[in-house]
Amino acid sequence: VPGMNSGLNPADPTLVAAFRSALLHQGAIALIIVAFLWLLWATARTWRSGAGNGSGPAVRGWWPGRPGNGSGNGSEPAGRRLLRTGFGLIWILDGLLQAQPKMAGGLASQVIEPSAVTSPAWVQHLVNWGGTVWSYHPITAGAASVWIQVGIGGWLIIAAHGPWSRLAGLASVAWGLVVWVFGESFGGIFAPGLSWLTGAPGAVLLYAVAGALIALPESAWRSPRLGRLLLGGIGLFFIGMAVLQAWPGRGYWQGTIGGKPGTLAGMVQNMSSTPQPHVVSSLLADFGSFAASNGFAVNLVVVIVLAGMGAIFLSGRPALVRYAVWFGIVFGLADWVLVQDLGFLGGLGTDPNSMIPMMLLFSAGYLALTPAPLEAPAAQAEPSAPAEADWRQRLRPKALGGTFATASARSVGAVAALAVILVGAAPMAAAAANRTADPILALAIAGNSAALDVPAPGFQLTDQEGQPVSLASLRGKVVLMTFLDPVCTTDCPIIGAEFKEAGVLLGSADKDVELVAVVANPTYRAVEFTQAFDREEGLSTVPNWLYLTGSLGQLSQVWRQYGITVENLPAGSMSAHNDLAVVIDRSGHIREEVGADPGPGTASTQSSFSVLLSQYARQALASPVSS
Amino acid sequence: MTRRAVLAGLLAVLVAGCGSQAASVAPPSIVVRTAPLATSLVTTQGAWAIAVMGGSASSDNNFWQLFVRPAGASRWSLVTPPAVADNGGLVAADGTGGTSLLVGFRPTQGLAFSPLAMSSDTGKNWTPGLLDAALADVPDALAVGASGRVLALLHDGSIEMAPTPATAAAGQWSRLTTLGALAASAPGRSCGLVALNAVSFGHNDIPMAAGSCLRRGVAGVFAESGGTWQAAGPALPAGFGGDQVQVLGLATPVLANTRGGDVALLLAGRDLLAAWWDGTRWTVSAPVPVAGGITGSGFGSGGSLWVLLGGGQAETIAGAGAPWRALPPAPAGTVTLAPGAGGGYDALAVSGSVLTVWRLASADWAKVQVIHVPIVYGSSS
Repeated sequence: VPGMNSGLNPADPTLVAAFRSALLHQGAIALIIVAFLWLLWATARTWRSGAGNGSGPAVRGWWPGRPGNGSGNGSEPAGRRLLRTGFGLIWILDGLLQAQPKMAGGLASQVIEPSAVTSPAWVQHLVNWGGTVWSYHPITAGAASVWIQVGIGGWLIIAAHGPWSRLAGLASVAWGLVVWVFGESFGGIFAPGLSWLTGAPGAVLLYAVAGALIALPESAWRSPRLGRLLLGGIGLFFIGMAVLQAWPGRGYWQGTIGGKPGTLAGMVQNMSSTPQPHVVSSLLADFGSFAASNGFAVNLVVVIVLAGMGAIFLSGRPALVRYAVWFGIVFGLADWVLVQDLGFLGGLGTDPNSMIPMMLLFSAGYLALTPAPLEAPAAQAEPSAPAEADWRQRLRPKALGGTFATASARSVGAVAALAVILVGAAPMAAAAANRTADPILALAIAGNSAALDVPAPGFQLTDQEGQPVSLASLRGKVVLMTFLDPVCTTDCPIIGAEFKEAGVLLGSADKDVELVAVVANPTYRAVEFTQAFDREEGLSTVPNWLYLTGSLGQLSQVWRQYGITVENLPAGSMSAHNDLAVVIDRSGHIREEVGADPGPGTASTQSSFSVLLSQYARQALASPVSS
Repeated sequence: MTRRAVLAGLLAVLVAGCGSQAASVAPPSIVVRTAPLATSLVTTQGAWAIAVMGGSASSDNNFWQLFVRPAGASRWSLVTPPAVADNGGLVAADGTGGTSLLVGFRPTQGLAFSPLAMSSDTGKNWTPGLLDAALADVPDALAVGASGRVLALLHDGSIEMAPTPATAAAGQWSRLTTLGALAASAPGRSCGLVALNAVSFGHNDIPMAAGSCLRRGVAGVFAESGGTWQAAGPALPAGFGGDQVQVLGLATPVLANTRGGDVALLLAGRDLLAAWWDGTRWTVSAPVPVAGGITGSGFGSGGSLWVLLGGGQAETIAGAGAPWRALPPAPAGTVTLAPGAGGGYDALAVSGSVLTVWRLASADWAKVQVIHVPIVYGSSS
């Protein structure tokens, strides 16, 4: 219906194309950086071998993956390796999921907001802040998430030892916490219905835990103490989840409540109805029916399993833990398929949910509980330099070059992974500092504007002060003009606010721009209504704001000339009109015609329209005045 | 000072603190009840009914509709004033001498003020008007006096007045009083006024306002004269002395030859009461218990009024001194009743965009008309 909100479509071709373009652009930059590093490294190695490797004191160990850097030696403990590679792969998978075409436009509205909706107000407030940052710059944020997550994943996989490997763990902690808070609303731990089955305490919190474990010195992994602590923590968590699962009144004991599916059956059945492969949806539907028919038994099994596994993990007895781990993997896989819908199926999935990370954690705990015997330290190929001279020598260009040349392929790969992260993070940081939204949102809602150069039809109308105004009287100024219903309840107040903000964005150039609206209501068109609208929207004090009206004949002529259709709809609807804005240059020529439908009218879309209008006004100001 | 003296002092402070806490009394409070916007009224042009139709309010697909059954006619017509989205609700008042109808749109979504519309040809044509403020969410938020003065009760409890319908249309209103000022006045203080729920013009065309009182047994009806507000009753029977009283509706039906005086609908505790002012004294009806809440109410001619209660219970009363009459249970979906000829009633039932009119024939309701309302779903979202 013309003149009504249309909403921001995440699958909008403009948004999708811009997202794809940003990904390709940043991907190309990442590739160039990786290729450059590789080339530089290969060249340095060639040069160094040609120079006879006589670069002075050894400075090995500064780069990751080298022995002798104080982070342990020998092969990497199995538990740590499992976590590092497992979570590295998951981060890469998450990064690839972030590259889904609808992610840029849809994450804020389809992932962030729904995850927060049942949380307390303070959580919603915090998450809303993060969602707003995303929604102001969806393309930049979307692309940044892809490269940051792919970079962290690659970094974890490539850097096996040393401080760079531990730094990768810390990066996983930092980004994981950001995603856990803003993307998962703290994993829903403050919302009702929390359950281990559905993903408590939030998959990405487990990424952060794994990152923290990876960031520990490797020596910590060589003692069974870490395994006992990790399994003890997981055991306590499982017991807590068992208690929560058994807690009466949460709807998990009932297969059906009042003829409707109980909590678990309802969740599963909802999942099964989302678009996904038929095999999976039918599996979910079957399990949903089973859970509805046998709610008590299903919950009893879950409670017993969680409590049992928790107790075994707490015991720290390797023989028992081993069986519990295998059982947990089987049980977790079943839950992952039948309850969590593989995490990323059904909707705009961003990660595989909590089961795989959970399995990795307790498996790593078991491996850490039974560490392999310490291997003999690798022989130092070259003697170490005296410690006090070490840092000075490292910073010398020649030494740096030598260090780089002697670095392993893993080391260079780790640096390349960090560069990939920066490729995404740097533009995101710059965008986050920008308080105005990306105009791509406005283009996605309104469609790309049509660049024109045609004379604007003249008019003779009356402003909100009752003074006559003609288009000719505005000659010499750029005119941003739209059509507003003064008693409109939806779009028009938003468009008025956008025009006002566009004037603010123009800064000093604002004095050469006239913000004009023409009444678009055949009934409520008297000056009193334009004045009331101005007061309502805070436009009364905007010096270059004109809200024009006239007789029905005058208005009808202007509407016709500018292609505006205005009609009164029946049965309590507002007067309908198409939303349109035109940019008229100082010579009285229309230079842009842009749909002014404000879409959902959020802070980000309003800001986006204001930015777009101000950009068009600046372009029109820059065009020469013709006689 | 010895340690013992200090301890004794502390003990005294503690005891005093406990004592004062024990002596404190929670301030009186009240949950303000107002009548729903679903209503009907009778003017010389005919009977008017207001009902909400369509879909859910949360998705802005609920639209308020105005229907008229012209005087002497038996069928209803849709006459909702055009050009303003009315999801926020419609409020109507009979115009000067009952010859016209003034309708106010309650603001909603991005609209902060209340456009008006006036018709003197049973809704065929409407003249726009403006109240540059938000009308209160009560059916008696607008009133037009015999002299043409217009009263508007605002959402914040203020009362605005326009000297004529023309000035009202031009948005030229002036502040008559505010809830705060009225509550601070002597009559306001004596009732503990906390909310204003209705405005009207009294017997001698004086502005009147009514609301909810904290003080038990006192009905908050006020009349303005010469810039001063005075308590205007009514005094309730002694049996209601322990109940908080809230005025849900106030009207002065202005109909040729049937002037019924001021009529008020009151909620005293859990009982509904009607009260009539004939210029010298109030007459109060017997009570009707309210069990399932009030879903609609309205005033008819000659001082009559009706209420629609939960579960389809419908009660009417013909005027001062008359008993309450229980109508047969209203048909499913009934949102408002409208007085008909000869003491009869029409029940207007809503299902989505379909309005079904039921007419009380002898002892039961008979379907007499179905109106399909062309609601434009999604037009306000």
